[in-house]
Amino acid sequence: MLHATSLSRRLLLAASVFICAALIIAGVVLFFVLHRFVQRQIDQRLDTQIAFLSSMLGSQNGVLTLSGNADGPPFDGHPRGWYWEAIGPNNTLRSRALGDRDLDISKIAIRLPPPLRPPPPPAGEDRPPPPGSRPAPGDDIGPDQQRLHFRILHTTVSGMPVTIVATAPRAAVLGPLREAMTTLAISLLALAIALVLAMIFQVRLGLQPLERLRRSIAEVRAGRSDRIAEVQPREVQPLVSELNSLLEQNALNLDRARRHVANLAHGLKTPLATLAVALPKDERGTEMHELVELMERHIRHHLGRARSAALNGPVRAHTVLAPHITDLGAVLGKVHADKHVDFSVDIAGDLAVACEEQDFDEMAGNLLDNAFQWTRRRVDVHAGMKGGNSVVLSIEDDGPGFDLEQVPQVLQPGQRLDERAPGFGFGLSITRELAELYGGSLEFQKSPAGGVRVVVTLPKALNGAE
Amino acid sequence: MKVLLIEDDRLLAREIAKALREENCAVDVAANGEDGQHLGNTEAYDVAVLDLGLPKVPGAQVLRAWRQNGRQLPVLILTARDGWTEKVDGFKAGADDYLTKPFRMEELVMRLRALVRRSAGHVAPSIVCGPLSFQAQTGVFELNGLPIKLTALEWRVLECLIMRKDTVVDRTVLVEKVYEGDAGTDSNSLEVIVARLRRKIGRDMIRTERGRGYRLAESDL
Repeated sequence: MLHATSLSRRLLLAASVFICAALIIAGVVLFFVLHRFVQRQIDQRLDTQIAFLSSMLGSQNGVLTLSGNADGPPFDGHPRGWYWEAIGPNNTLRSRALGDRDLDISKIAIRLPPPLRPPPPPAGEDRPPPPGSRPAPGDDIGPDQQRLHFRILHTTVSGMPVTIVATAPRAAVLGPLREAMTTLAISLLALAIALVLAMIFQVRLGLQPLERLRRSIAEVRAGRSDRIAEVQPREVQPLVSELNSLLEQNALNLDRARRHVANLAHGLKTPLATLAVALPKDERGTEMHELVELMERHIRHHLGRARSAALNGPVRAHTVLAPHITDLGAVLGKVHADKHVDFSVDIAGDLAVACEEQDFDEMAGNLLDNAFQWTRRRVDVHAGMKGGNSVVLSIEDDGPGFDLEQVPQVLQPGQRLDERAPGFGFGLSITRELAELYGGSLEFQKSPAGGVRVVVTLPKALNGAE
Repeated sequence: MKVLLIEDDRLLAREIAKALREENCAVDVAANGEDGQHLGNTEAYDVAVLDLGLPKVPGAQVLRAWRQNGRQLPVLILTARDGWTEKVDGFKAGADDYLTKPFRMEELVMRLRALVRRSAGHVAPSIVCGPLSFQAQTGVFELNGLPIKLTALEWRVLECLIMRKDTVVDRTVLVEKVYEGDAGTDSNSLEVIVARLRRKIGRDMIRTERGRGYRLAESDL
C-alpha cells in the first residue's frame, strides 16, 4: 500500500495510521476510566442508600419495619429506575416508586456470595450492620423493562437475614458517559485533524531541502550553474557531495573526450595538408584533392559536433557583441584587403548574448566571412533587442545575393551555391546548428542593397549579476 | 619573393617549400618557433608563413615578438585550429592573413603574392612599368602583353625590382631577397642575372645606380 513513489505520501500515511490508532486507544482507555468513574459515583449513591436503609431497618415480631422515609430523591420515582427493596424472611419493604412490583434479583443473587451467616448476637437492637459487609454489584432488567444497576447487600437486622437492594437506571451511568464520550470524541477527532495537518506541514517543511535540491539540480541541468549549492541539511549533504563529484567527473570526462577529438582532428589536419600540397597538379591530383576536402569536411563536422555535444544550454555565458564583431571585421578586412570593404557596425556597446564567446565568434565569423566574400563594397552589421529576451543580429551585404528558394540548399553541410569560391558553405550549416543549439535561429532575407541579409536570433545574456 | 616558412611538421614544410620554389620563391624553413623568431628578426623576407602550433615558442608569441621588435613583414598564419576565436587572436597578434589546414597550394601562393604586393603599397593586382607588367596574382611577367620566360633567380630579381619600381633597390637587399639563407651568395652572379634580364626586357629599364644598387623604371624616350 505504501507506494515507493512519494516520500511525503509514505510519511503522511504512516503518521495518519499511527495518530488514528493512538487516538482510538486513548478514546477506549478514557471510555473505561470514565465509565468506572461514573459507575463509582452511582455505586456510592446506592451504597449510601443501602447504608441508610440498613440503619433504619428494624423488626417487630419478625416483620421488617422502616423507621423513617427512605424515598428521598432520587428514589422518589423521578426519574424512574431508582429503587430500593429490603427483603426480610417474612416481608419485603420496597420503595414507593416500585408500587407492589418486585425487583427480581434471582439471576443476580445466584452469582452473589451466599447470605452472611448471622453475626454474633448484637449488643443493641439498632446496631448497624457490621463493617466489612459491603454491597455487591449486578445488572439486570428492572420491572419497567429498563436496564438497572443493582447493589445488593445481605445483612442481618435484629438477627434476621435481610437482603437490601438498591438500583439505579443503567441510563444514569450511560447518560453522562455518553455525554462525556461525545465531547471527548469530538475533541479527539479535532486533535487527530490537527495532528495530521501538523504532520503535513512537518513533512512539507522536512522535505523542503529536497525540493531545493531538485531546483538546484535543475539549475545545473539548465546550465545556469555548474555545481549544486553545498549548503544543505546534514542529511542531504552527502548526497550533494556525491552529486557534485559526479558532475565534476562528468565534466572532466567530457573535457577529456573533447580534447581527444580535437587532438585527433588537428593531428589529422597536418598530414592532410601535406598530402594536399604534395598532390600533383594534373587531373588525377585534382580528383584526389576532392577526397582531401571531403576528409576535411568530415573532420570539421565531427569536431563541431564534439563541441556542440558538450554544450548543454547557455552556461551563464555573456558575450558582448560589439568588440567581437569589430575584431572579426578587422580580420576579414585584412583578409579581403583588396576589396576595400566599407564595414559599418551599429551595435549598442553593452548589448550581449548568452553564448560562449567561441561559439559566437564561430557564428558571426562564418556569416561575416560570407558577407565579405560576396559583397561588392559594403557590409553592414546591426544588432538590437527583440522582445525582452532575444537579440537580433543582422549582417547585410550588397553582393549578388541568391535566390531565397536556394536557402535550404545553402544550409546543407558542405553545400556551396558557387563551387568556385573557397570556404563557403560549410560555415552556414555550422552557424545554423550553433544558433539552434542556443535556442536561436538563422534566417535569410534579401537586403535592400540587393545582396543577402542574414538574421541571427540569439538569447539575450542575463545581467552580469546573475 | 623570399618566404620564411615556420612549420614544425617536417614533411609538410618540405612539400610547401618545394611547391613555393616551383613558384620561383626563395624559401627559408624553420622547424621551431625559436629559430623562426630569430630568422624573422635578422633576415629580410617578403612574407612569412607561420604555423601557430610550434614547439619551443608558439606561433602567436613569435608574431608578437616580431611586431614588438618593429618587424613589419606580412605574416600568413597556418593553423589546424579553424575556430574564429583563434583567427581573431592570431590577427590581434599581428597576422595579415590565415589559412587552415588542409589548404590548396595555389591558394597559399595566391595569398602570399597578394600580401607581398599590398605590403609593397600596390593596390591593383597588376603592376605596370612601361611595356613591362607583372600579374601579382599569377606571378606572370608580360612584356608588351606577351609572357616572358624567366628562371627562378631572374624572376626573383625582377619581382623585387618591380615591387619597388622607380626606387633604388640596394644591392645587399636584392642579394638577401634573391638567395636562400644557406645558399652561397655571390654578388657577381647578381650582375650576371641583371645582365640576362636586361637582354630579355630591354637594356634601359634596369638602371645601375653606381655604388648603391639597381632601379627599375620606364625607359626615357
